Formats: sequence, C-alpha cells, structure tokens
Amino acid sequence: MALDGLLANLALGLSVAATMQNLMWCLMGAVIGTAVGVLPGVGPVATMALLLPVTYVLPADGALIMLAGIYYGAQYGGSTTAILVNLPGESSSVVTTLDGYQMARQGRAGPALAIAAIGSFFAGCVATILIAAAAPPLTRLAQQFAPADYFSLMVLGLVFSIVLARGSIIKAFGMVFLGMLLGLVGTDVNTGNLRFTFGISDLFDGLGFVPLAMGIFGIAEIIANLTNPERRDLVSSKVSNLWPSREDFRRSRGPILRGTILGSVLGLLPGGGAVLGSFSAYTLEKKVSKTPEKFGTGMIEGVAGPESANNAAAQTSFIPMLTLGIPSNAVMAMMIGGMMIHGIIPGPQVMEQRPGLFWGMIVSMWFGNLMLIILNLPMIGLWVRLLLVPYRLLAIAVLFFCCIGVYSLNNSANEVLFIAGFGLLGYLLIKLDCEPAPLLLGFILGPMMEVYMRRAMLLSRGDPWVFFQRPLSFAFLVLAGILLLLVVLPAIRKGRETAFQE
Amino acid sequence: MRRREFLTMAGAAAVTSFSIPRATAQVANWPERPVRCIIPYAPGGGSDLIGRPWAEALSQTFGQQFVVENRGGAGGMIGTEAVAKAPPDGYTLLATPGATLTVLPHLRKAPYDATKFVPCGRTGDFVTGFSINAQVGPKTFAEMLDYAKKNPGKLSYGSAGLATATHLRLEMLKFKAGIDILHVPYRGSADALNDLLPNNVQMMNEINNIPHVKAGKLHLLNINDTQRHWDFPDIPTLTELGYPDSDVPIWYSIQGPPGMPQEIAEKLNAAMVKLAQTDDMKSKLRAVSASLPVQSTKQVAEFFAADSQRNADLIKAAKVKLE
Amino acid sequence: MRIRNRQDFATGLFFIAIGLGAYWIAADYPMGTAMRPDTGVLPKALAWLLAGTGIILAGKSLVADGPHLTEWAWRPALMITLATIAFALLVDRVGLAVTMLVSMTLAAFGTPETRWREYALFAIFMVVLGVVVFILGLGMPIRILPQGLSWR
Repeated sequence: MALDGLLANLALGLSVAATMQNLMWCLMGAVIGTAVGVLPGVGPVATMALLLPVTYVLPADGALIMLAGIYYGAQYGGSTTAILVNLPGESSSVVTTLDGYQMARQGRAGPALAIAAIGSFFAGCVATILIAAAAPPLTRLAQQFAPADYFSLMVLGLVFSIVLARGSIIKAFGMVFLGMLLGLVGTDVNTGNLRFTFGISDLFDGLGFVPLAMGIFGIAEIIANLTNPERRDLVSSKVSNLWPSREDFRRSRGPILRGTILGSVLGLLPGGGAVLGSFSAYTLEKKVSKTPEKFGTGMIEGVAGPESANNAAAQTSFIPMLTLGIPSNAVMAMMIGGMMIHGIIPGPQVMEQRPGLFWGMIVSMWFGNLMLIILNLPMIGLWVRLLLVPYRLLAIAVLFFCCIGVYSLNNSANEVLFIAGFGLLGYLLIKLDCEPAPLLLGFILGPMMEVYMRRAMLLSRGDPWVFFQRPLSFAFLVLAGILLLLVVLPAIRKGRETAFQE
Repeated sequence: MRRREFLTMAGAAAVTSFSIPRATAQVANWPERPVRCIIPYAPGGGSDLIGRPWAEALSQTFGQQFVVENRGGAGGMIGTEAVAKAPPDGYTLLATPGATLTVLPHLRKAPYDATKFVPCGRTGDFVTGFSINAQVGPKTFAEMLDYAKKNPGKLSYGSAGLATATHLRLEMLKFKAGIDILHVPYRGSADALNDLLPNNVQMMNEINNIPHVKAGKLHLLNINDTQRHWDFPDIPTLTELGYPDSDVPIWYSIQGPPGMPQEIAEKLNAAMVKLAQTDDMKSKLRAVSASLPVQSTKQVAEFFAADSQRNADLIKAAKVKLE
Repeated sequence: MRIRNRQDFATGLFFIAIGLGAYWIAADYPMGTAMRPDTGVLPKALAWLLAGTGIILAGKSLVADGPHLTEWAWRPALMITLATIAFALLVDRVGLAVTMLVSMTLAAFGTPETRWREYALFAIFMVVLGVVVFILGLGMPIRILPQGLSWR
C-alpha cells in the first residue's frame, strides 16, 4: 500500500476514533480494563462476556472500541497484581512475577510498575503502527505456520521455561513435566477420551489456568507469608522512590525494544502467542545479560522485556482477527462475538466494506494506549501505598479476590474448590524450593503441543519426518536443541564438581 | 439517547441480582422475574450469535430480563446438565444447538436424558455447506467427488470437534458418497478455519467460511438446507445434488428442563412465533447466515425426534465412533 | 547411606510418587498408531519422565549436601484452605455477603496477628466493596443476601 493511501486511511480512522462518543467509549473500556486487570482473577474474557450485552445498545464502532479498550487495559492492569502481590491474573504476566515481585519486596514496586507501564506504552504504539502499516503481509507470515511448525515452536517454548528457571535445573525439568501432566487433565480433544478426571464432570474440560495460577501463586504465597514475617515485611518496610532512576531507564531501553519486536511477531500466532512472547522475551534478556544469575532477584530487565512483549502481542493478536476473522485467543473470540452481534461478519472484506470501523478501531488503540499511560502513571503511588495495608488484612482481601475471580470465570463454585487444592500444592512447592513458573508454562504449552503433534502426524499420514522437513519446524527444533545444551551442560559440570568435592 | 439506554441496562442488571427465586412457580403469571438462558458453550461462539438476539427480543416482549449465561465445557454437556438439574419452573432455560441433545447422547454417555427436555421453540438454523480451499482445484460438488475418488484419503476435513454437528456432516458425506476424507477435529470452528485458509486442511462446513467464499479463497460446493442460500442462489442443496434426506441444518432451539409445565413452553412458543415473523429478527439472524423456521412446540418436538433418529441411524450405519 | 539434602530428597520422592501414580492411572489409556497417536502416549511418557527426574534428584541428594526442610505452617495452611472451601460451598447458597463474612473470618483465624476490632471494620468494608464491584458493577449472577432475608 502506498504511503498516502495509508495516511488517508489513518485520517479516516482518526475521524471515527476522535469523536466525543468514541473517545468516551475508549476511555471507559480502558478504565474498566485497568480495573478488572488489577482485580486478580477477573480477566478480560469474563469482563467482556459480562459487558457484551451492554455493547448491544451501542453503535458498532463504539462497542468494538470499548471492548478493545478492555482488553489492552487489562494487559496494563494485569501486571500490577503480578508485581504487588505475586498474582499473575493472566498467563502472559506469569514471568512478570519472577523479577517484578522481587523488586516489590525490595521496596522497588514503584519503578517496576512504572517501567511496566512505559514498556507497555511503547510496545502498544509500535504494534499499533504495525497493524496499520503491515497487517496483510503479517497475516501471510502467520499463515506460513503448519501444525508441525507450531509443534516445534511449543517445544522451543518449553525449553525457554527451563532456561528461565533460577534454581536447580533438574527441579525445573520436573516442574515442566508436572505442569504438562496437569495440562492433560480433561477430555482428549482428538478422541474424546477422558484423562485423569476421576469421574468429576468439572474436570472434563480440564483444569483452568486461572484457578491454577491463583492457587499456586496467590494462595500459596499467603500461606507462606502469614507465618513468616521476614518473608513479607520487606515489602512494606522500605518503599523508596516511586520513579525509576536514570540507571533503571538505561537498563530497560534494550529490553523494551527487544521485547516489543518479539511480542509483535509472536502475537500474530494463534494460541500461545502472547504467552510465548513474554516468556521468550525473558529468556532472551537472561541470555544477553552479563549477569544472568541475577535474574529472578529483582532485575528490572526481567520486567521491562516481558511486559513490553505481552502488550505488543496483545495488540498484534488483533491482526488475524481483523484481516481473516480468526481469533487467536479467547478475547479475540469475544471481539468476534461483539462484531457479529452488530451484524458484521469478520473476514477479509471488513477492511473494504467497513473501512471506518476498521481504521477507527486501529486509531483508537493508539488513543487508548495514551489514555492508559496517563491514567496509570499517577496511580502507581496509590498502588504502592496499598502495600502499606497490614499484611494480615491484605492477605484476606487477596484471598477473597482470588475466590470471586475464579468464580466469575464460569459462574462455577466448584472451580473455587480447586484453588484450595492448588494453594496447598503451591505451598508444598515453596517448601521444596521448586519454582512454579516452569510448571505453569508446561501446563499451558503441554496440551497445545500434544494437539499440534497429533494434528501434524495425522496430516502427514503418520510420517514423523515432517518435523524435520519443514524449514520453520526444523529451525525451531535446532534452536531448542542448542538452548537445551547450553543450559544442561554447565549444570552437569557443576553437579559433578560439587559431587567430587565431597 | 444511548447513554440513557446504557444506564437502564446497568440498572436492570443491578435489579436482577436483588430478586430471588420463589419456592413455588406460578405458571399463569410466568415470567414474574428474570429468566436465565443457559448457553452450554463459551461466549462469542455460534450459540451466542443466535441466543443473544433472542434473549434481547424476549426481554422486551415479556418485560422481564432474559439473562444469557454461558456455561461452556465438555462439548456442551456441562451447561446442558446444569439445565437438566435446574428446577423446572421456567426460570432456567437452555438455548442450545441440536448437537448436545441429538448427537452427543448417541456417541457418549451423557449425564442427562435428552428426550426429557421440553422444547419451546426453534431459534434459527445456520445455513452453509461444504467448502473447499480454492488451491485444491475442484470448484463444484461433482468435481470434488471426482477428485476424492481419484485421490482417496488425500483430502482432509476440519470439524469443530468430535461429536459436533459438523463432524457428523462429514461422516454423512463419506458414507453416502462412498469417499474417503480424513477427519481432523479442532477445538472450535475458528481453530479449524486457521488451518483451512493456508490449505493445511482442505475442507470445512461452517458459517465462518462464508466471508472467505465471498473473497474467493474458498469454493462453496453445496448448501445443507432445504432451500438455497440467499447470497448464493447458484449453489445447489444436497437434495438437488441427489442426496435426499441429507439437508440437515445446524439448528438451535430453546428447551425447558425436564418436567417444566407445558403451559410455559406454549406461552414462550407463542411469543417466539410472533417474534420470528418480524423483519428485525429475520434480518438479525440473516446477518449471521441463519434462517428462521417457525414451528409450534409439537412440531419442534417432532423435528427433534426425527433429527435424533436420523443421527442415530447414520451413526450406526456409518459406524461412527469417537476414535 | 545418609540423606545429605533433605529438601531435594523430598522433592525427588514427590516427583516419583506423582509419576508412578499418573502411570498407574494412565496404564490402560490406548497408545494408538504413528498416524493417530492416542490418548495414552503423552501421559505415559510424562509419567516416566517425571519419575525419572525424581530418581535423579533423590539420588543426587544422597551425595551432595543441601538445605533441610523448614517447619510447616499448619495454622495458615489449614485456615486459608478452609476459608476457600467455605467460599465455594456457600456462595451459591446463602449469597455473597454471608459467604464473605464466613470465609474471611476463617482466614482471619489463620494468623495470630489478627486484631479483631480492626478486622470487623475491614470485613464490613470488604463486603460493601464486594457487593458494589461484583454484583452491582459487573452484574455477576450471585445473590447478595440469603433467600429468606431479601426483598423483592
């Protein structure tokens, strides 16, 4: 597309997005999104489902602008609880807990939140420009992926999850395997067989990510902290400066840029795009860092990279939805629902038939990001002050939010019962010094990997060479192999040394 | 004014939560309080597209909120089971595609007796047909059959999942036309479309194909409905192609829990029949490629039984199993 | 033989136990063919991998020193779990307000630090917040008060 064509489109989008009403819907979406993103467990999907009937009475562009606002607003808000109370509301903020929560415990919640917001803003702007300028070619790129390539990408993702572990490599392997096993609970999509369900119908659809994350991170952390004052008193004792120092900014520049690029590309892929984006950004930062051993102790790079990546991915995940009508995640499926309620069938012709809507939405994303950063930066002081609430009360509040958040997913009380069990499991893992992040990654990627593996085998009519014949797949597998060697070899050498010292 | 409408909605939602179920159902005055319409799938899917316009219209007709509640899971079994176990007072209804009641129970042990539900009215039929990626070659149904016979097992077909209506469609095609096409189950039709467009699988049968047919990426081979599609007057139905009794629509209905008084079903049906004849409702459903059959409760029950029987026969004859 | 790293040893046993348990459950899941790998392939493979990891870990804990297990926090573990279970069992039955009071009070028993007067104020605040945000604001389909107590 010629440049003036693009400019004309953006001008059209501006004329739609900058009307009073649409700015209001955009702001409303961003505010609601931030609010639900901050509430642990109540994610954008549940909120959009609850608000979908409301959008019925709005005009189509207003409704979609508001729904989109909820989504990226929630991405901004989601990192807040991950950093403050170690609660990842969404899969893509799991890695943010690793260094973000550590920073908060060292009294540096302010800088962590600020960098997360700034990184998200930068990533959001870049990704919005990408959508406007290159949506169709990017769609073609995403369409190059066949099931075999997705499988190999998932394998690479699992290797990432081992790389990002801080402590024992063997335990990280165990956690990944355990997570994958948990991910297999439920109905096997390919055959309809039930696995590990013990005849409980609430398990037929598998365990949910949110109950698992709420239990293993949130509830377990509460249990551990309630008896162990030293574990938490750091948090409230020395909340120092709210704003990142010049040094912080200098260290974050690279990670934000790299995270944005990684996130933008991976966000195009359906399924685990946003998750893979944030995990791989973390792994990348750890690999390029001169002090990789410090990751997991409160490194600002470990917040800046993944946060930028997940926001970039959140934005670019609109591309397949807008250009092809394919939702890359549950939120995009809701957006499609929102469009169809207004009689718009998502697909390639939306861009031609409803250019005002299409470009209006894109321009509104930029407005939304701007509103979000203006809204969020002043809020940081407030959030940090929240940590001054005595832990004996904060713990109860967090517990309640976990419960109601999980309930809101399916209006199901039984899922709340699960978090009780996961809380105990998480507590056990803390006691055994096993990091839960690889477990959650295995949980998300394991079942997807199985689906793609079986689909690839089915489509290749049983020929396993397909994983090596396709160039993309081959490249991912080679990369995974190299990374794995890089991680495992030093660990083995070190293990031998300690053994011989005895 | 729009803002006011929004406030009204918010208010209504607030009031909804204050009200409480009563122990005894007063049939004559039904509905006296909000009615829950359970959709047994995740939000944003096909069931929502049909269910939500109806909930909206019924709320206006009866002056009580018909609140849509998505209870997804296990191929629709969890939400359906929830309705089966709900009090049969007319304040919990099921808005479902036929599959949960007329396909699933023939393939899997379902935790409810599908024949005991009380049919209230049909809410719409999705109208679409088999489509094939344009890169494959065949442009018509006959050419596709020819291709499939010359290259047995080469074509693959993406369905929305096992034991869905679209899965059964493929089994019907394979059985009746005597061809070999590989079935690849996906998690929902969107997931399948993602592999159809790059030609990783070649065929599908879903409404989300239609925009891509219009864009020329796919060829629509037939229509599985009793009438041709308004947007594609040149595409024949399966009956016209020589496969009688194969034009089974993907149909949706509202069902009451087992034991719900027939009077409530009739009252609801009367309202639905009236609504189905309004232009507003017709155009809303047409926008999502759905047609709107008008039937009395008795006719719905007959249609239901016939559909269930036909599926059972096909499953038996074609030896369909959940692999 | 002496266990030099109790933490790793316990972790190893934990992995082995889960691995064997998973294998035992998955034993009769079908394996399928190369073209159609069936339900059992990944669960069994993972069960072995997990148990194997456990064996390595437990073996290593016999030769290399490491941390001991610290004391368990029984009281919060029990009370927080009970609070969660109470929430799950009550929320559909008695409405949000009563559920929250019961569940939060159980949680408050989880720590000796609870100051009851402060807690009472906090609980009222939380109930109001919960009702306003989730029921009035987000419109979640939960009752506020138990059936007999509410009005129409």
